[in-house]
Amino acid sequence: MTLVPITYKGGIYRHDIIIDLIDDLGGYIVQKHIIAQDVVLQSLVPKDDIELIRKMGRPLGGDVIESPLVGTEIAVVSPSLDIHHLPHTSCDAAEYMRRSGAKTNMIGLSRGFGKRIANLNFEERDVINEHDCAVFLLGNFEECIRHKLPALRRGIHVPIILTGGPDVEALKRTANPPVQGYVGGIGRKGHRMKKQEGEIEFLDALITEISKVLGEKREEIAKDPLSVSPARLMSVIDDELEITKSSTHPTPVTVQITGLKLKIPYEDYSEYVRAIKIEEDITVGDVAEILPSRMRNYIWIKIKPFSETNIMV
Amino acid sequence: MAIDYFEVECREETGRKAYLEIASDVLQDLDLIKIVSKIHIYIDLDFPFFLAVGKTRKLPPMVKIRDFSNVMESEGKIILNISDETYLSQMLTVLWDRFGRDFIEQPDRFTVVISAELTGVSEIEEMIVYDPSVSMYKDLIYALQWIAPEGFKVRREWIDKGRFYYIASENTLPPGILDTIVAEKIKLISEV
Repeated sequence: MTLVPITYKGGIYRHDIIIDLIDDLGGYIVQKHIIAQDVVLQSLVPKDDIELIRKMGRPLGGDVIESPLVGTEIAVVSPSLDIHHLPHTSCDAAEYMRRSGAKTNMIGLSRGFGKRIANLNFEERDVINEHDCAVFLLGNFEECIRHKLPALRRGIHVPIILTGGPDVEALKRTANPPVQGYVGGIGRKGHRMKKQEGEIEFLDALITEISKVLGEKREEIAKDPLSVSPARLMSVIDDELEITKSSTHPTPVTVQITGLKLKIPYEDYSEYVRAIKIEEDITVGDVAEILPSRMRNYIWIKIKPFSETNIMV
Repeated sequence: MAIDYFEVECREETGRKAYLEIASDVLQDLDLIKIVSKIHIYIDLDFPFFLAVGKTRKLPPMVKIRDFSNVMESEGKIILNISDETYLSQMLTVLWDRFGRDFIEQPDRFTVVISAELTGVSEIEEMIVYDPSVSMYKDLIYALQWIAPEGFKVRREWIDKGRFYYIASENTLPPGILDTIVAEKIKLISEV
Protein backbone atom coordinates (compact mmCIF):
# COMPACT_ATOMS: atom_id res chain seq x y z
CA MET A 1 0.00 0.00 0.00
CA THR A 2 1.51 3.30 -1.05
CA LEU A 3 0.65 6.29 1.07
CA VAL A 4 0.45 9.63 -0.70
CA PRO A 5 0.57 13.05 0.95
CA ILE A 6 -2.61 15.11 0.73
CA THR A 7 -4.19 18.15 2.34
CA TYR A 8 -7.90 18.07 3.15
CA LYS A 9 -9.53 21.46 3.55
CA GLY A 10 -13.12 21.76 4.62
CA GLY A 11 -15.64 23.02 7.11
CA ILE A 12 -15.33 22.13 10.78
CA TYR A 13 -18.87 20.70 10.87
CA ARG A 14 -18.68 16.89 11.16
CA HIS A 15 -15.05 16.82 10.12
CA ASP A 16 -14.55 13.89 12.50
CA ILE A 17 -16.13 11.75 9.76
CA ILE A 18 -13.10 12.48 7.58
CA ILE A 19 -10.70 11.85 10.46
CA ASP A 20 -12.31 8.46 11.13
CA LEU A 21 -12.34 7.65 7.42
CA ILE A 22 -8.62 8.36 7.03
CA ASP A 23 -7.98 6.25 10.12
CA ASP A 24 -10.10 3.36 8.82
CA LEU A 25 -8.39 3.44 5.45
CA GLY A 26 -5.04 2.98 7.16
CA GLY A 27 -3.86 6.52 6.60
CA TYR A 28 -2.28 8.91 9.11
CA ILE A 29 -3.06 12.48 10.01
CA VAL A 30 0.23 14.29 10.30
CA GLN A 31 -1.11 17.69 11.26
CA LYS A 32 -4.50 19.14 12.05
CA HIS A 33 -5.25 22.84 12.01
CA ILE A 34 -8.49 24.44 12.98
CA ILE A 35 -8.72 27.96 11.62
CA ALA A 36 -12.00 29.68 12.52
CA GLN A 37 -14.68 27.65 10.71
CA ASP A 38 -12.22 25.64 8.62
CA VAL A 39 -10.21 22.58 9.26
CA VAL A 40 -7.02 21.63 7.44
CA LEU A 41 -5.80 18.04 7.69
CA GLN A 42 -2.41 17.18 6.37
CA SER A 43 -2.35 13.47 5.98
CA LEU A 44 -0.84 10.45 4.34
CA VAL A 45 -3.51 8.25 2.74
CA PRO A 46 -3.60 5.19 0.46
CA LYS A 47 -3.36 6.28 -3.17
CA ASP A 48 -6.48 4.39 -4.31
CA ASP A 49 -8.70 6.00 -1.68
CA ILE A 50 -8.20 9.67 -2.50
CA GLU A 51 -11.38 9.69 -4.60
CA LEU A 52 -13.34 8.20 -1.71
CA ILE A 53 -12.14 10.90 0.68
CA ARG A 54 -12.99 13.53 -1.91
CA LYS A 55 -16.48 12.03 -2.32
CA MET A 56 -17.11 11.87 1.43
CA GLY A 57 -15.82 15.40 1.92
CA ARG A 58 -17.92 17.01 -0.79
CA PRO A 59 -21.16 17.37 1.26
CA LEU A 60 -19.07 18.92 4.09
CA GLY A 61 -17.59 21.54 1.77
CA GLY A 62 -14.28 19.73 1.71
CA ASP A 63 -11.62 19.49 -0.92
CA VAL A 64 -8.58 17.27 -1.31
CA ILE A 65 -5.35 18.69 -2.67
CA GLU A 66 -2.22 16.70 -3.33
CA SER A 67 0.60 18.27 -1.32
CA PRO A 68 3.97 16.78 -2.12
CA LEU A 69 5.70 18.02 1.02
CA VAL A 70 3.43 16.58 3.73
CA GLY A 71 5.47 14.55 6.20
CA THR A 72 8.72 16.44 5.71
CA GLU A 73 10.59 18.89 7.87
CA ILE A 74 12.56 21.45 5.92
CA ALA A 75 15.15 23.95 7.10
CA VAL A 76 14.86 27.36 5.47
CA VAL A 77 18.30 28.81 5.93
CA SER A 78 18.78 32.52 5.51
CA PRO A 79 22.08 34.36 6.07
CA SER A 80 20.31 36.76 8.40
CA LEU A 81 16.85 37.61 9.69
CA ASP A 82 17.80 41.17 10.50
CA ILE A 83 14.80 43.28 11.44
CA HIS A 84 15.57 46.28 9.33
CA HIS A 85 15.90 44.30 6.13
CA LEU A 86 12.32 43.11 6.30
CA PRO A 87 10.40 41.81 4.42
CA HIS A 88 12.58 38.75 3.92
CA THR A 89 12.29 36.52 0.90
CA SER A 90 12.72 33.57 3.25
CA CYS A 91 9.35 34.39 4.87
CA ASP A 92 7.60 34.10 1.51
CA ALA A 93 9.47 30.93 0.64
CA ALA A 94 8.79 29.29 4.00
CA GLU A 95 5.12 30.20 3.90
CA TYR A 96 4.79 28.83 0.38
CA MET A 97 6.32 25.53 1.46
CA ARG A 98 3.93 25.33 4.40
CA ARG A 99 1.05 25.57 1.97
CA SER A 100 2.40 22.48 0.25
CA GLY A 101 2.33 20.68 3.56
CA ALA A 102 5.92 20.92 4.73
CA LYS A 103 6.89 21.72 8.29
CA THR A 104 9.43 24.47 7.80
CA ASN A 105 11.80 25.92 10.32
CA MET A 106 13.36 29.28 9.58
CA ILE A 107 17.00 29.33 10.51
CA GLY A 108 18.53 32.79 10.49
CA LEU A 109 22.26 32.39 10.86
CA SER A 110 23.97 34.51 13.45
CA ARG A 111 26.90 35.35 11.19
CA GLY A 112 25.76 34.30 7.75
CA PHE A 113 25.73 37.72 6.11
CA GLY A 114 28.47 39.35 4.07
CA LYS A 115 30.86 37.87 1.53
CA ARG A 116 34.13 37.19 3.36
CA ILE A 117 32.74 37.18 6.90
CA ALA A 118 29.95 34.61 6.37
CA ASN A 119 30.15 31.48 8.50
CA LEU A 120 28.11 28.78 10.18
CA ASN A 121 28.46 27.73 13.80
CA PHE A 122 28.23 24.23 15.25
CA GLU A 123 24.78 24.68 16.68
CA GLU A 124 23.37 25.94 13.39
CA ARG A 125 25.05 23.08 11.54
CA ASP A 126 23.61 20.47 13.90
CA VAL A 127 20.12 21.97 13.80
CA ILE A 128 20.15 22.01 9.98
CA ASN A 129 21.34 18.39 9.93
CA GLU A 130 18.23 17.33 11.84
CA HIS A 131 16.01 18.23 8.86
CA ASP A 132 15.10 16.33 5.70
CA CYS A 133 16.66 18.96 3.50
CA ALA A 134 17.94 22.51 3.71
CA VAL A 135 16.86 25.34 1.43
CA PHE A 136 19.54 28.01 1.28
CA LEU A 137 18.14 31.40 0.36
CA LEU A 138 21.08 33.49 -0.69
CA GLY A 139 21.41 36.91 -2.27
CA ASN A 140 21.57 38.51 -5.69
CA PHE A 141 25.24 38.33 -6.58
CA GLU A 142 26.86 35.30 -8.18
CA GLU A 143 30.28 36.40 -6.95
CA CYS A 144 29.13 36.52 -3.33
CA ILE A 145 27.32 33.17 -3.49
CA ARG A 146 30.44 31.53 -4.91
CA HIS A 147 32.50 32.98 -2.10
CA LYS A 148 30.24 32.27 0.85
CA LEU A 149 28.56 28.97 -0.07
CA PRO A 150 31.52 26.76 0.94
CA ALA A 151 31.48 28.33 4.41
CA LEU A 152 27.73 27.98 4.83
CA ARG A 153 27.51 24.34 3.71
CA ARG A 154 30.46 23.07 5.74
CA GLY A 155 29.46 19.97 7.67
CA ILE A 156 25.93 19.80 6.31
CA HIS A 157 25.05 16.34 5.05
CA VAL A 158 21.33 16.70 4.30
CA PRO A 159 20.43 17.57 0.68
CA ILE A 160 20.84 21.26 -0.09
CA ILE A 161 18.63 23.28 -2.44
CA LEU A 162 20.40 26.46 -3.40
CA THR A 163 18.37 29.50 -4.34
CA GLY A 164 19.44 33.02 -5.15
CA GLY A 165 18.95 35.96 -7.47
CA PRO A 166 21.00 34.64 -10.43
CA ASP A 167 19.44 32.08 -12.79
CA VAL A 168 19.85 28.32 -12.42
CA GLU A 169 22.80 28.14 -14.82
CA ALA A 170 24.70 30.77 -12.87
CA LEU A 171 23.92 29.03 -9.57
CA LYS A 172 25.20 25.74 -10.98
CA ARG A 173 28.45 27.47 -11.86
CA THR A 174 28.87 28.77 -8.34
CA ALA A 175 28.38 25.53 -6.39
CA ASN A 176 31.45 23.35 -6.25
CA PRO A 177 30.98 20.49 -5.46
CA PRO A 178 27.41 20.61 -6.82
CA VAL A 179 24.43 20.70 -4.46
CA GLN A 180 21.26 18.66 -4.97
CA GLY A 181 18.91 21.35 -6.27
CA TYR A 182 18.94 24.85 -7.75
CA VAL A 183 16.25 27.51 -8.12
CA GLY A 184 17.07 30.90 -9.58
CA GLY A 185 15.26 34.21 -9.37
CA ILE A 186 14.67 34.18 -5.60
CA GLY A 187 17.09 36.73 -4.23
CA ARG A 188 16.76 39.57 -1.78
CA LYS A 189 13.76 41.77 -2.53
CA GLY A 190 12.40 44.95 -1.06
CA HIS A 191 8.78 43.79 -1.10
CA ARG A 192 6.59 40.74 -0.54
CA MET A 193 6.27 38.40 -3.50
CA LYS A 194 2.95 39.01 -5.21
CA LYS A 195 3.37 38.90 -8.97
CA GLN A 196 2.84 35.57 -10.65
CA GLU A 197 5.46 36.27 -13.25
CA GLY A 198 8.99 36.62 -11.95
CA GLU A 199 8.06 35.98 -8.31
CA ILE A 200 5.47 33.29 -7.53
CA GLU A 201 6.56 31.22 -10.52
CA PHE A 202 9.98 30.78 -8.89
CA LEU A 203 8.36 29.69 -5.63
CA ASP A 204 6.44 27.08 -7.62
CA ALA A 205 9.74 26.01 -9.16
CA LEU A 206 11.15 25.77 -5.64
CA ILE A 207 8.39 23.37 -4.56
CA THR A 208 8.98 21.23 -7.66
CA GLU A 209 12.71 21.18 -7.00
CA ILE A 210 12.26 20.22 -3.33
CA SER A 211 9.84 17.43 -4.31
CA LYS A 212 12.40 16.18 -6.82
CA VAL A 213 15.24 16.21 -4.29
CA LEU A 214 13.14 14.56 -1.58
CA GLY A 215 11.85 12.03 -4.13
CA GLU A 216 15.44 11.04 -4.83
CA LYS A 217 16.05 10.76 -1.10
CA ARG A 218 12.97 8.55 -0.68
CA GLU A 219 14.12 6.31 -3.55
CA GLU A 220 17.49 5.97 -1.90
CA ILE A 221 15.80 4.96 1.37
CA ALA A 222 13.49 2.51 -0.43
CA LYS A 223 16.55 0.41 -1.34
CA ASP A 224 16.99 -0.33 2.35
CA PRO A 225 13.54 0.44 3.81
CA LEU A 226 12.95 1.77 7.29
CA SER A 227 11.97 -0.69 10.03
CA VAL A 228 8.76 1.26 10.64
CA SER A 229 7.09 4.07 8.75
CA PRO A 230 7.49 7.45 10.51
CA ALA A 231 3.74 8.12 10.30
CA ARG A 232 2.94 4.80 11.99
CA LEU A 233 5.53 5.44 14.69
CA MET A 234 4.00 8.85 15.22
CA SER A 235 0.53 7.43 15.81
CA VAL A 236 1.88 4.73 18.15
CA ILE A 237 3.80 7.25 20.26
CA ASP A 238 1.01 9.82 20.22
CA ASP A 239 -1.59 7.23 21.27
CA GLU A 240 0.61 6.29 24.19
CA LEU A 241 1.77 9.72 25.35
CA GLU A 242 -1.08 11.90 24.03
CA ILE A 243 1.36 14.65 23.16
CA THR A 244 -0.89 16.32 20.60
CA LYS A 245 -3.75 16.61 23.08
CA SER A 246 -1.73 18.22 25.81
CA SER A 247 0.64 20.41 23.82
CA THR A 248 0.23 23.90 22.43
CA HIS A 249 2.88 23.46 19.74
CA PRO A 250 1.64 23.70 16.14
CA THR A 251 3.19 20.31 15.43
CA PRO A 252 3.94 18.55 18.74
CA VAL A 253 5.01 15.47 16.84
CA THR A 254 6.75 16.38 13.60
CA VAL A 255 7.02 13.72 10.94
CA GLN A 256 10.18 13.56 8.89
CA ILE A 257 11.15 11.25 6.04
CA THR A 258 13.31 9.06 8.24
CA GLY A 259 12.25 10.00 11.72
CA LEU A 260 10.24 12.10 14.12
CA LYS A 261 10.69 15.05 16.35
CA LEU A 262 8.84 14.95 19.68
CA LYS A 263 8.40 18.26 21.38
CA ILE A 264 8.71 16.98 24.94
CA PRO A 265 11.78 17.15 27.21
CA TYR A 266 14.43 14.56 26.41
CA GLU A 267 15.66 14.15 29.99
CA ASP A 268 12.21 13.26 31.33
CA TYR A 269 10.77 11.16 28.53
CA SER A 270 13.54 9.51 26.49
CA GLU A 271 13.53 6.26 28.49
CA TYR A 272 9.76 6.13 28.47
CA VAL A 273 9.60 6.63 24.70
CA ARG A 274 12.27 3.98 24.17
CA ALA A 275 10.15 1.41 26.04
CA ILE A 276 6.87 2.06 24.16
CA LYS A 277 5.66 -1.13 22.49
CA ILE A 278 4.86 -0.98 18.78
CA GLU A 279 3.85 -4.63 18.54
CA GLU A 280 3.97 -7.61 20.87
CA ASP A 281 7.67 -7.69 21.69
CA ILE A 282 9.02 -4.83 19.62
CA THR A 283 9.68 -1.51 21.31
CA VAL A 284 10.50 1.89 19.83
CA GLY A 285 14.06 1.49 21.08
CA ASP A 286 14.47 -1.65 18.93
CA VAL A 287 13.74 0.09 15.65
CA ALA A 288 14.94 3.64 16.26
CA GLU A 289 17.61 5.72 17.92
CA ILE A 290 16.28 8.14 20.53
CA LEU A 291 18.51 11.20 20.44
CA PRO A 292 18.49 14.60 22.12
CA SER A 293 17.60 17.23 19.54
CA ARG A 294 19.65 20.42 19.19
CA MET A 295 16.35 22.30 19.00
CA ARG A 296 15.54 23.21 22.60
CA ASN A 297 15.21 20.02 24.70
CA TYR A 298 13.20 18.03 22.18
CA ILE A 299 13.57 14.38 21.32
CA TRP A 300 14.77 13.41 17.88
CA ILE A 301 13.92 9.88 16.76
CA LYS A 302 15.94 8.42 13.92
CA ILE A 303 14.41 5.24 12.51
CA LYS A 304 16.92 2.53 11.71
CA PRO A 305 16.83 0.76 8.33
CA PHE A 306 15.75 -2.87 7.97
CA SER A 307 19.33 -4.02 7.31
CA GLU A 308 20.35 -2.88 10.79
CA THR A 309 17.45 -4.24 12.82
CA ASN A 310 16.07 -7.13 10.77
CA ILE A 311 12.65 -6.02 11.97
CA MET A 312 9.80 -4.73 9.84
CA VAL A 313 6.63 -3.58 11.56
CA MET B 1 7.50 63.76 -8.54
CA ALA B 2 9.87 61.15 -9.83
CA ILE B 3 13.60 60.91 -9.36
CA ASP B 4 15.51 62.70 -12.16
CA TYR B 5 18.41 60.30 -12.23
CA PHE B 6 18.43 56.83 -10.76
CA GLU B 7 21.13 54.35 -11.66
CA VAL B 8 22.74 51.25 -10.21
CA GLU B 9 26.18 50.31 -11.43
CA CYS B 10 27.49 46.78 -11.00
CA ARG B 11 29.19 44.26 -13.22
CA GLU B 12 26.57 41.57 -12.62
CA GLU B 13 23.39 42.34 -14.51
CA THR B 14 20.97 40.32 -12.30
CA GLY B 15 22.34 41.91 -9.16
CA ARG B 16 22.16 45.35 -10.72
CA LYS B 17 18.51 44.92 -11.63
CA ALA B 18 17.66 43.46 -8.20
CA TYR B 19 19.24 46.40 -6.39
CA LEU B 20 17.52 48.89 -8.68
CA GLU B 21 14.25 47.32 -7.58
CA ILE B 22 15.20 47.17 -3.88
CA ALA B 23 16.31 50.82 -3.88
CA SER B 24 13.13 52.01 -5.54
CA ASP B 25 10.98 49.94 -3.13
CA VAL B 26 12.76 51.35 -0.09
CA LEU B 27 12.67 54.96 -1.29
CA GLN B 28 8.98 54.60 -2.01
CA ASP B 29 8.25 52.97 1.35
CA LEU B 30 9.95 55.77 3.24
CA ASP B 31 8.39 58.44 1.06
CA LEU B 32 11.76 59.79 -0.07
CA ILE B 33 10.99 59.93 -3.80
CA LYS B 34 10.03 63.58 -3.52
CA ILE B 35 13.15 64.44 -1.56
CA VAL B 36 15.89 62.66 -3.51
CA SER B 37 16.45 64.15 -6.95
CA LYS B 38 19.42 62.07 -8.11
CA ILE B 39 20.93 58.84 -6.88
CA HIS B 40 23.73 56.69 -8.19
CA ILE B 41 24.52 53.38 -6.53
CA TYR B 42 27.81 51.66 -7.18
CA ILE B 43 28.40 48.10 -6.02
CA ASP B 44 31.91 46.70 -6.11
CA LEU B 45 31.88 42.93 -5.78
CA ASP B 46 35.60 42.48 -5.25
CA PHE B 47 36.42 44.80 -2.37
CA PRO B 48 33.36 44.50 -1.64
CA PHE B 49 31.62 47.79 -0.93
CA PHE B 50 28.32 49.55 -1.49
CA LEU B 51 28.36 53.21 -2.42
CA ALA B 52 25.42 55.52 -2.91
CA VAL B 53 25.84 59.14 -3.92
CA GLY B 54 23.06 61.55 -4.65
CA LYS B 55 21.45 64.94 -4.48
CA THR B 56 18.43 66.05 -2.52
CA ARG B 57 15.83 68.55 -3.62
CA LYS B 58 15.26 71.90 -1.97
CA LEU B 59 13.63 71.12 1.34
CA PRO B 60 10.31 72.47 2.49
CA PRO B 61 10.87 75.53 4.76
CA MET B 62 10.98 75.36 8.54
CA VAL B 63 7.60 75.47 10.22
CA LYS B 64 6.93 78.52 12.41
CA ILE B 65 4.02 79.15 14.75
CA ARG B 66 2.57 81.80 12.39
CA ASP B 67 2.18 79.16 9.65
CA PHE B 68 -0.59 77.32 11.42
CA SER B 69 -1.93 79.66 14.07
CA ASN B 70 -3.34 83.13 14.55
CA VAL B 71 -1.57 85.02 17.37
CA MET B 72 -3.18 88.06 19.02
CA GLU B 73 -2.86 90.02 22.21
CA SER B 74 -5.83 90.91 24.39
CA GLU B 75 -6.17 91.94 28.03
CA GLY B 76 -2.58 91.16 28.93
CA LYS B 77 -2.69 87.73 27.37
CA ILE B 78 -1.35 86.32 24.13
CA ILE B 79 -3.92 84.02 22.58
CA LEU B 80 -2.96 81.44 19.97
CA ASN B 81 -5.75 80.21 17.74
CA ILE B 82 -4.64 76.95 16.16
CA SER B 83 -5.99 76.26 12.69
CA ASP B 84 -4.05 73.07 11.92
CA GLU B 85 -3.30 70.53 14.62
CA THR B 86 -0.43 68.78 12.77
CA TYR B 87 2.35 70.56 14.67
CA LEU B 88 0.45 71.18 17.90
CA SER B 89 2.37 68.76 20.05
CA GLN B 90 5.75 69.96 18.75
CA MET B 91 4.62 73.55 19.41
CA LEU B 92 3.63 72.78 22.97
CA THR B 93 6.98 71.13 23.62
CA VAL B 94 8.79 74.20 22.31
CA LEU B 95 6.68 76.55 24.40
CA TRP B 96 7.02 74.43 27.54
CA ASP B 97 10.78 74.28 27.13
CA ARG B 98 10.92 78.04 26.71
CA PHE B 99 8.45 79.31 29.30
CA GLY B 100 7.73 76.39 31.58
CA ARG B 101 4.60 74.25 31.80
CA ASP B 102 2.99 76.39 34.45
CA PHE B 103 2.82 79.41 32.18
CA ILE B 104 1.22 77.73 29.16
CA GLU B 105 -2.53 77.32 29.41
CA GLN B 106 -4.61 75.35 26.98
CA PRO B 107 -8.30 76.00 27.76
CA ASP B 108 -9.45 73.95 24.80
CA ARG B 109 -8.02 71.87 22.01
CA PHE B 110 -7.47 74.76 19.57
CA THR B 111 -6.47 77.53 21.96
CA VAL B 112 -3.25 78.23 23.83
CA VAL B 113 -2.87 81.18 26.21
CA ILE B 114 0.40 82.74 27.38
CA SER B 115 0.85 85.76 29.63
CA ALA B 116 1.86 88.88 27.64
CA GLU B 117 4.41 89.75 30.33
CA LEU B 118 6.59 86.86 29.24
CA THR B 119 6.83 87.55 25.53
CA GLY B 120 5.50 89.50 22.54
CA VAL B 121 3.28 88.60 19.57
CA SER B 122 5.99 88.79 16.91
CA GLU B 123 8.38 86.68 18.97
CA ILE B 124 5.81 83.93 19.27
CA GLU B 125 4.95 84.11 15.59
CA GLU B 126 8.55 83.59 14.57
CA MET B 127 9.24 80.62 16.84
CA ILE B 128 10.44 77.55 14.92
CA VAL B 129 8.43 74.48 15.71
CA TYR B 130 9.67 71.89 13.29
CA ASP B 131 12.73 71.55 11.06
CA PRO B 132 12.05 69.06 8.22
CA SER B 133 15.73 68.64 7.42
CA VAL B 134 16.45 66.88 10.73
CA SER B 135 14.08 63.99 10.21
CA MET B 136 14.78 63.86 6.50
CA TYR B 137 18.51 63.25 7.00
CA LYS B 138 17.69 60.51 9.49
CA ASP B 139 15.27 58.92 7.05
CA LEU B 140 17.72 59.16 4.19
CA ILE B 141 20.55 57.48 6.08
CA TYR B 142 18.13 54.85 7.33
CA ALA B 143 16.95 54.19 3.77
CA LEU B 144 20.52 53.78 2.53
CA GLN B 145 21.30 51.41 5.39
CA TRP B 146 18.26 49.43 4.42
CA ILE B 147 19.21 49.27 0.75
CA ALA B 148 22.82 48.27 1.47
CA PRO B 149 23.52 44.52 1.69
CA GLU B 150 23.20 42.95 5.11
CA GLY B 151 26.43 42.54 6.98
CA PHE B 152 28.03 45.69 5.63
CA LYS B 153 28.48 47.16 9.07
CA VAL B 154 31.52 49.34 8.47
CA ARG B 155 30.17 52.53 7.04
CA ARG B 156 30.74 56.20 6.44
CA GLU B 157 28.10 58.76 5.59
CA TRP B 158 28.07 62.42 4.70
CA ILE B 159 25.34 64.94 3.97
CA ASP B 160 25.95 68.55 3.12
CA LYS B 161 24.35 71.26 1.00
CA GLY B 162 21.93 69.01 -0.81
CA ARG B 163 24.45 66.29 -1.59
CA PHE B 164 25.11 63.04 0.20
CA TYR B 165 27.11 59.88 0.05
CA TYR B 166 26.97 56.62 1.94
CA ILE B 167 29.59 53.92 1.74
CA ALA B 168 29.42 50.58 3.50
CA SER B 169 31.51 47.45 3.53
CA GLU B 170 32.30 44.35 5.55
CA ASN B 171 36.00 45.23 5.43
CA THR B 172 37.60 48.26 7.04
CA LEU B 173 37.43 51.37 4.89
CA PRO B 174 40.99 52.65 4.65
CA PRO B 175 41.12 56.45 4.40
CA GLY B 176 42.27 57.69 1.02
CA ILE B 177 41.77 54.61 -1.10
CA LEU B 178 38.03 54.91 -1.57
CA ASP B 179 38.00 58.72 -1.62
CA THR B 180 38.93 58.77 -5.30
CA ILE B 181 35.98 56.65 -6.25
CA VAL B 182 33.60 58.66 -4.04
CA ALA B 183 34.85 61.91 -5.62
CA GLU B 184 34.44 60.41 -9.07
CA LYS B 185 30.84 59.44 -8.44
CA ILE B 186 30.00 62.79 -6.85
CA LYS B 187 31.38 64.45 -9.97
CA LEU B 188 29.26 62.17 -12.12
CA ILE B 189 26.13 63.06 -10.18
CA SER B 190 26.80 66.80 -10.54
CA GLU B 191 27.22 66.45 -14.29
CA VAL B 192 24.11 64.43 -15.15
